[in-house]
Amino acid sequence: MKPDSTEQRLRGLMLASLDGDAAAYRVLLADLTRYLRPWFARRLSAAHVSHAEDLVQETLLAVHSRRMTYDRSRPFTAWLHAIAHHKFVDHVRRHAIRPTVPLDDDAPIFASDDSAHAADRRDVEAVLATVPDRTADLIRQTKLEGASVAEAAARHGMTETAAKVSIHRGLKSLMGRFAGGGK
Amino acid sequence: MTDELINRLSADLEPVPPRALERRIWTALALGALVTLPYAYIVLDLWLGRPFVPLMGERMFWVKFVYTLAFALIGFAAVPALSRPDGRIRWPFILSGLGLLVALGFGTMRWMESDWIMPELMGQTAMVCPWLIPLTGLPVLAALLWAMRPLAPRSATMAGLAAGLLAGGFGAWTYAFFCGEDGMMFMAVWYSLGIALTAALGAVLGRVLLRW
Repeated sequence: MKPDSTEQRLRGLMLASLDGDAAAYRVLLADLTRYLRPWFARRLSAAHVSHAEDLVQETLLAVHSRRMTYDRSRPFTAWLHAIAHHKFVDHVRRHAIRPTVPLDDDAPIFASDDSAHAADRRDVEAVLATVPDRTADLIRQTKLEGASVAEAAARHGMTETAAKVSIHRGLKSLMGRFAGGGK
Repeated sequence: MTDELINRLSADLEPVPPRALERRIWTALALGALVTLPYAYIVLDLWLGRPFVPLMGERMFWVKFVYTLAFALIGFAAVPALSRPDGRIRWPFILSGLGLLVALGFGTMRWMESDWIMPELMGQTAMVCPWLIPLTGLPVLAALLWAMRPLAPRSATMAGLAAGLLAGGFGAWTYAFFCGEDGMMFMAVWYSLGIALTAALGAVLGRVLLRW
């Protein structure tokens, strides 16, 4: 972490860009994109995180069209942050006035963002692959998808008791293998 | 998508000379001032019948001359700084407030010396002076706001306020050449009010026009 070197590097590129060096400008904009994307993503709520790319583009456009306001004798990153902050505040205001989260009656109110758990989901599938297919199905339906044991049993054409036993055995075998028990 | 934008922007790159922002503002100010010459003559002298009589022999003329020019200079220093996204300065407004207090102080003393007679405060033109100053400053204000549109002020309102201060100071300075009032208190109250009205007008217009 050497913030000074980042500042020096970006400022050098900016000064060259202001003098008309298109190659330096291209490098600068690419660098800014890499730097701004996580900067915005970190500040946006989960519902708006997809706007990060728009904000990056708006910031690049502002850097371009308002580059006249950069004072050559002052730090570049401070100027850039001021612009990015301005765009961010603007975004927050716009969405505070007109929230874009639809509150449909039939949508689950506590819907969670599944994409964040995609990795977990993949791990679960890998683990379930180690038990028999039917047991894996039963566990998936009852434990992950929220079906009752009776529903799951009916889907597989078995009695509720048999399903319960199957789930219990499957989980037990999984625990034996993955829970770190040295049994 | 973003790469496309980068390509487009870097193809569109044109060099920006040092101090381009200051030069833009100075050019606008010069244009506005140039327009003000005939404008003030036409509006104040020909239309409103206030003859161009700079009372150069009187001390009060020079007090007004300096007082109004001071606000213009403060605004002049503040406009470029407040036109930047990272520009955040308060001293111009604090300094303006102090200048106003000093003028009110001196004005009150002179008014007291003259036994609180109303003409020292109201003169002949107290009811028009604060309106004619913004009117006189209008060309400069318009030129400044126009020049500041492609800039990126941290706060559009503050940038507009600074532009209004500059235009108000300049308008009052110009107006002093058409004004025969010689009361210190008159200047401290009504000239200041005229400048403040212009600054407020700048702030209101800037809030809308200088958004980015």
